[in-house]
Amino acid sequence: MQRISRLKRELQMLSTEPPPGITCWQTEDNVNELRAQIVGGSGTPYESGIFSLEIKIPERYPFEPPNIRFITPIYHPNIDNCGRICLDALKLPPKGAWKPSLNISTVLTSIQLLMAEPNPDDPLMADISSEFKYNKQLFSEKAKKWTLEHAVHKSKVITPHCTAARVSRSTLASEANTHTHPVA
Amino acid sequence: MDSLLVKDNPLLLPMNKERTVYDGFITVQRNNFRILNLYILLKSQSFLSLVFQRLQQSSDLGSFLLELKTVLEVCVQSRPSALSIPHPQSYSDLLSELETLGWDKLVFIDTDFRTLRLRANDSSGREHVLTVKLKTKHPTEAPECAADVPVPLVFHWTPQTTLAQLHSQFLQLVESLREFWDVLDEIDQKTWVLEPEKPCRSDAMRRIAIGNNASIKVEVDPRHPKMLPECCLLGAEHVVTPLRNKLNANMHLWNPECSVLLNLRDVLEIQFPSPATHEKSSLSVECGICYSFRLDSGIPDQVCNDPRCGQPFHQDCLYQWLRALPSTRQSFNTIFGECPYCSKPITVKMAVQK
Repeated sequence: MQRISRLKRELQMLSTEPPPGITCWQTEDNVNELRAQIVGGSGTPYESGIFSLEIKIPERYPFEPPNIRFITPIYHPNIDNCGRICLDALKLPPKGAWKPSLNISTVLTSIQLLMAEPNPDDPLMADISSEFKYNKQLFSEKAKKWTLEHAVHKSKVITPHCTAARVSRSTLASEANTHTHPVA
Repeated sequence: MDSLLVKDNPLLLPMNKERTVYDGFITVQRNNFRILNLYILLKSQSFLSLVFQRLQQSSDLGSFLLELKTVLEVCVQSRPSALSIPHPQSYSDLLSELETLGWDKLVFIDTDFRTLRLRANDSSGREHVLTVKLKTKHPTEAPECAADVPVPLVFHWTPQTTLAQLHSQFLQLVESLREFWDVLDEIDQKTWVLEPEKPCRSDAMRRIAIGNNASIKVEVDPRHPKMLPECCLLGAEHVVTPLRNKLNANMHLWNPECSVLLNLRDVLEIQFPSPATHEKSSLSVECGICYSFRLDSGIPDQVCNDPRCGQPFHQDCLYQWLRALPSTRQSFNTIFGECPYCSKPITVKMAVQK
């Protein structure tokens, strides 16, 4: 009951006044699933990338948080290989901080903020997290590579130095391991 | 024997060459009964066992049918008269009554000439409609009447009462309620009424927006519309308490000569937001949980008591959120938790208030 009226209003607000750098829309006729895009913030390794997210609305929304996952691969200490995000606003109390006063728009903004300011003390990806803590330059390079490979619009990718950046995910991961070991 | 059977029951037809199966109608007291339908009729009146008994005793079909007709005769007589057609005279009586009442008063009549809707205008120009359902024993039995009025409809009815007399009784009633509707119309026109959404003429309750998410619920007495009505102030404590104190302190100033709205204005010492000065959207603030104003029929009447927050919620929404939290505490039917917006203490009752 609350879910329908609330989502109707939220979608209307998202279409008329979306938060900066964020778009969100309905994928099907039902409102169970939404899609969102977050533009990588300037000055971050994700700059010029467009990151797609999948939003699933649970049955008890807004009494339960929305289920949000990155579809676009992203190199980030708090986001795992499946795109799952470690963010307290996406979990119910007492573990998390979801409240019905939050909404899809504010949660997406929090994710945008998390992208710019990773939280290495609560890591989901231990390797990336230690890399972020102790070898920030390497972390930035890899995050940029991933961004170019997965999040930059394909028509833009045709530049000579990008071919070098075309590294498969597995090699990147092994590379990350070899590099983090001597540091850690 | 067959010829005798058909002669006595001309509506009965043999269904096969051997003349063992018959179908058709038998006539009892000018009523024709289809053989097939008989079962239902007899069963409904528990005559069935009687018929089977006669069937066993009868020597041939002809004598059984004679017995059946006797049973049916009793059956028809004991049947409720509802199925019988009214006497033609009753129609012409009805038409002449409508003639004297005036056709302009008739808003609607159904094809059975059983349900009528009559129009009555009070001296303030409001139109009222009286729905009259004539009973089968009309005019001995009083007709069923219904109208959109706040008091029970009681009409004096004798078998001699005409529709015109009934209409004038209704007119008298709406005239006696004229002041009540004047009072409520003033409220509806000059303030923002939050509840009921679309007030009917029978609604004596109004919930008037005061601003700051506060509202006052008044229940006007239809018989004494200008007396101090039952009042109930709703909203955050810091907004409502000063108003409640004023209401209690100035109650003696209530002037029964003036309308309810003018009195409320003077007693509470406030100006009600009106359609002329305020947008409705600025007063009907949405619930902080479901983002809507009206949820089923409820409106957000639970308000965070912190003056800096003042966020309104539907009782149902707030209850559903707080009860699922491990950090809330419950005492009797009240849940103690935190406002989802400002985290200040907030309480909510469990039972749904209606």
